[in-house]
Amino acid sequence: MRPENYQPVEHPASQEYELYFGPNHPGIEGNYALKVRLTGDEIVGIRADGGYLHRGFEKIMEDRLWIQNVALVPRICVPDPPPMEETYARAVEMIGGLEVPERAKWIRAMILEMSRICGHLFILGGTAAPIGQYSNMFWGVADRDYFLDLFEALTGARVYHMFITPGGVRRDIPDGFLDKLSHILDYLEARLPEYDDLFFNNPVFHKRAEGIGIITQEQALAWGVTGPNLRACGLALDVRRDDPYLIYDKLEFDIPTETSGDVLARTMVRRSEIIESIKILRQIIQHLPQIKGPIRCNLPNPLAWNLPEGDAYARTEAQKGELAFYAVSTGGAKPWRVHVRGPSSMHAVQVLEKLCLGGRIEDIALIMFSLDACPPEVDR
Amino acid sequence: MTTNIPITSDPNTDIACRTPDMQERSLLRKVIDRIADRCRSRSLFILHYCTGCGAIELPPTITSRFDSERLGIQPMVTPRQADILLITGYLSVKTLKRVILTYEQMSAPKYVVGMGSCTINGGMYWHSYATIKRLQEYLPVDMYMAGCMPRPEAIQQGFLQLIDNIDKGKAIAWQDYYQQYDKYLANQQALFGPDWHTPTDVIAEARHYELFTEKTTGEHTALLAKYASKYVTLQHEEHEEIVK
Repeated sequence: MRPENYQPVEHPASQEYELYFGPNHPGIEGNYALKVRLTGDEIVGIRADGGYLHRGFEKIMEDRLWIQNVALVPRICVPDPPPMEETYARAVEMIGGLEVPERAKWIRAMILEMSRICGHLFILGGTAAPIGQYSNMFWGVADRDYFLDLFEALTGARVYHMFITPGGVRRDIPDGFLDKLSHILDYLEARLPEYDDLFFNNPVFHKRAEGIGIITQEQALAWGVTGPNLRACGLALDVRRDDPYLIYDKLEFDIPTETSGDVLARTMVRRSEIIESIKILRQIIQHLPQIKGPIRCNLPNPLAWNLPEGDAYARTEAQKGELAFYAVSTGGAKPWRVHVRGPSSMHAVQVLEKLCLGGRIEDIALIMFSLDACPPEVDR
Repeated sequence: MTTNIPITSDPNTDIACRTPDMQERSLLRKVIDRIADRCRSRSLFILHYCTGCGAIELPPTITSRFDSERLGIQPMVTPRQADILLITGYLSVKTLKRVILTYEQMSAPKYVVGMGSCTINGGMYWHSYATIKRLQEYLPVDMYMAGCMPRPEAIQQGFLQLIDNIDKGKAIAWQDYYQQYDKYLANQQALFGPDWHTPTDVIAEARHYELFTEKTTGEHTALLAKYASKYVTLQHEEHEEIVK
């Protein structure tokens, strides 16, 4: 009911209206906002509004010792932290000229692949939720928890492990860990057909996802798209293959691609990547027991550890795309500058805006989840 | 055309129009509050607002493995229907504005839970230029959960404690916001500037809940009246006094 003193406000005649999408909204991934201009349900203008999670990482890292930053870097990307630790550690090793023992390299690769499966399960559940398929979200989160339990057995923490340090890893794998991992990989492999029935072959999902948010190959290269989103456009580019780090040149794995570049293609690439990661982990389980040796090289006193002058650029294929750290040392105990090149800052701002434009409001959430953008890493 | 319905009843004699005397209804009120608290503690809605990294442990807490629904706790998408404002980790200044706005939209009684070390003392980001360090300076906090980040078991233990506190009538931090609004507003203004205001008339709400004290208004709410007078209903004499 209108109050008695109600006075209608005169607006200029227009079909358009503005909608604030987020930050407090279930259809948005994390703490992120979009300002959308609409005519009916068609999007005529969209503007990403980030910065809600800005913590000033690159600045506060300059204030801490090289070794202290190990605890800070995983917090940049919450659903997929190990690649952050690994890339930072590798940049430090490149500056300091540290030689990582072979066994540590294999353990690192194992953690990275486990984290990739975790992140993919999480985001596949997230992709299903905006079209109303909550069962898949429940399954994804529950199956991810098996891997979090493994992480806990290995590192002592569920989410932020701080396990990969410059020079190696913190401790060796516990007894019986590889058996547990093998058991859970078997479980997940047996579970995938069920996921197919529920979600990947679901006609409802295909109807919603086909032809939505298409990225062409030229656009993908021009916009800086990386990771599964790039491979969904038909380009088989992967840092693990193109610029091998750790032990990836000794492993056999395929790079799954799709051609259509839409939401469905991106989802299917993630599904195939889970299978590839299982394959990689099986090879690691097979080889790791034969590789003996230390798990960490000798480090100087971390509180008085001055790295030599120099800079390094280390890059990794993280679960969300290409991740890189550029670290500069001027010979002190603290970094002079650390720059983070995160995959999500490209996906969540420019790409999301361009894909949503001309689309419809109900597809915003689907496109955002299919791009697998991670707001904490966008804002940093 | 609207017609005004004439008021036929006399406010002095009609019992429905008379404001009840506090002494007279205190016992009844106590009993009703006790029953309401017990019911309330069995059905709590968390506001679906992932303010920081702690949000990553909420899906396992809420979904099938730890299943907080068996405690009667569920996520809720709108602030008006939500009971718990869960601050999941660090708050940047930009987010804090939205959190205060959201908090004031929620209907009382409402409970703020600070989750993670960042809400207690800044945590990992203790010297970051972008985040706030102590949540309780800006909002009244009912409970903190320490850890970076707290495990789902810890979150559930926290919820159980909160349920217990609500049941016993101890979770009354929301009253503090009305009773000492000037203090909270002072901290908010120190961060956002003197012209900070929200669309909610907190002082009128404090009067409505009968929680108006002498600390509700002060020199900072006077600034509020100066910059955003349409959002605040100070009574005329009070306003004059404060401006003097």
